[in-house]
Amino acid sequence: MSAPRGEAPLVALRGVGKSFLRGTSDVAALRDVTLDIASGEWVTIVGPSGSGKSTLLNIVGGLDRPTAGEYRLDGRLVSALSDAELSRLRNRAIGFVFQAFHLIPQLSVIENVETPLLYSGLPVAGWRARAWHCLERVGLTQRAEHRPAELSGGEAQRAALARALVLDPRLLLADEPTGNLDSVTGEEIARLLGELHADGHTVVLVTHNERLAQRAPRVIALRDGAIEPARP
Amino acid sequence: MSASLTPQVRALPAWPLSVPLRTLILLARRNVLLHRLRSALSILGVVFGVAAVVAMSSVGEGARREALSQVAALGIDTIAVRPAPAPGPSDGSGLVLADVESLRRVVPGSVAAAAVREASLGAELGDRRSDVSVAGTTPEYARAATLTLAIGRFLCDLDLTDGKRVGVLGAAVARQLFPLGDAVGQLLRLGDDWYRVVGILAERGAPRRRAGPIRTRDVDHTVFVPLSTLGPAAGRAPDSIDEIVLRVDDGRQVARAAEVAQALLQRHHPGAAFGVVVPREILKQKARTQRIFNVVTGAIAAIGLLVGGIGIMNIMLATVAERTREIGVRRAVGATQVDIAAQFLVESSLLTSVGGVVGAALGMSGSIAIQSWADWPTALSPLMLLVALFTACAVGVGFGLYPAWRAAQLTPMEALRSE
Repeated sequence: MSAPRGEAPLVALRGVGKSFLRGTSDVAALRDVTLDIASGEWVTIVGPSGSGKSTLLNIVGGLDRPTAGEYRLDGRLVSALSDAELSRLRNRAIGFVFQAFHLIPQLSVIENVETPLLYSGLPVAGWRARAWHCLERVGLTQRAEHRPAELSGGEAQRAALARALVLDPRLLLADEPTGNLDSVTGEEIARLLGELHADGHTVVLVTHNERLAQRAPRVIALRDGAIEPARP
Repeated sequence: MSASLTPQVRALPAWPLSVPLRTLILLARRNVLLHRLRSALSILGVVFGVAAVVAMSSVGEGARREALSQVAALGIDTIAVRPAPAPGPSDGSGLVLADVESLRRVVPGSVAAAAVREASLGAELGDRRSDVSVAGTTPEYARAATLTLAIGRFLCDLDLTDGKRVGVLGAAVARQLFPLGDAVGQLLRLGDDWYRVVGILAERGAPRRRAGPIRTRDVDHTVFVPLSTLGPAAGRAPDSIDEIVLRVDDGRQVARAAEVAQALLQRHHPGAAFGVVVPREILKQKARTQRIFNVVTGAIAAIGLLVGGIGIMNIMLATVAERTREIGVRRAVGATQVDIAAQFLVESSLLTSVGGVVGAALGMSGSIAIQSWADWPTALSPLMLLVALFTACAVGVGFGLYPAWRAAQLTPMEALRSE
């Protein structure tokens, strides 16, 4: 599979596999995945439970390392990076949105949004303004000083989205971002993701949500850890 | 919108700690305050460990300084001989004036010897009145006990032969009776007689008066008068004296001099017992006791801090387990392993540092309490406080290392999946 446009892909997977040791036998979560995603694309990954969608997203996001094949992000071989380099890459290049929001409960909303800035090396003086700007973008400034426990599901996911955006990453990854939300708030998050894509972010989304999947120009279907041939 | 990734990643520093230390400390403070009771309980071991170190070393330091000042009060090459305290009234078998001369002659290397007769008299000056210890002695005493004058003169031979009523004041007596400092030339009433002050001694930092087999004269609180003006106590022979102070020319010979003095006096006064105070020996003996005390103190402190450290490690392991998800989130948004380890290390060090400060305060209060209630001399040295605080901080780092390492070893995926 190659990128639709002629430029060098942002994400390039070549024969990527991931297997886990379960008991005494190896279980393959991903097999021989070859995939290019161009800069500025919106790609949705769909597939039944256990098809390897989240594993694929975690590898693309640098949270997990493949056990086979090669992954390059913007031309850089990710599997060759040290833990510190990979951490820096996650910090600067990748924004993650999780199904369970994963906000830190003892921090306020704006502090949660600031969390990536802690590890960015940027001067502390600019953190608050930057985080506030991102909260404005997701429309959550009125909740800035609240704790995550005081937020509704939609608000929590918007806070998580603001956190993913705070270092303006090129690649935005969302794992079932609407999975824990009702359809109205889910739609709201989908609309925000659409806006971010329109702003130039590359969005890779894993979802079960049919309507959300339909918004994406490019859909990749996974089954048993492998990419299914493109739908007609 | 965004610059190319590659230069951004390359531009970051090679040092893997990316969080500013100040931010780490603020974060740690917040997490410590979030569970106030738990934090307070977890540092108790360190608090008591440090308090024990501070209190006990202040007692040790106090004892050391007292030993030093006791020795300084007599001089390192001086010995003092007095009859051993006997139960009941004195049978008259004590020291006599003639003993001074024989000691001076016989004891090898002796350079000065002086007789002392003691009395405790009421001192009166206008409306000020207090009890002072009065020592009747000879001019040689100044040399034998290495006294230094602050002002005026010491007793002279003429004072002695003429029985002049003159006195030389210890520094503390002078301060007490003549707060304005114009003592020399003034008259002072001691018992029933008036004495003219002719000199004041330099401050000596005298030992505290305490019961015990060894007594040394507290020079600062003594008034020295000619021996001839202070008669012996009622019922004693007219030539009886209370103490002989002897100085030898070589400090290393004091032990030998003490033996000779002891033997000589035994021969002159068969059946009587004498105590010989050898400051140098006291110092050696105290140093030995001090070493044992230091070892015991050190061992107790080490056990206290070990227990404290284990408490900290325990609570930090629980904290890491409880905050695994947070660790995952932080790793996902860019924290390196070093960042995570540093976060928990700063937290454990903050806990033990607070424990150290509280413990030091408690130890200092304990030291003051020991001084005022048990009447033991104590002394706090700032260096010791610094060492205690530094040790507390080091316990935090030392016992926080393993939990921090455990936290750093979690992969982002494991940490995020934890429930």
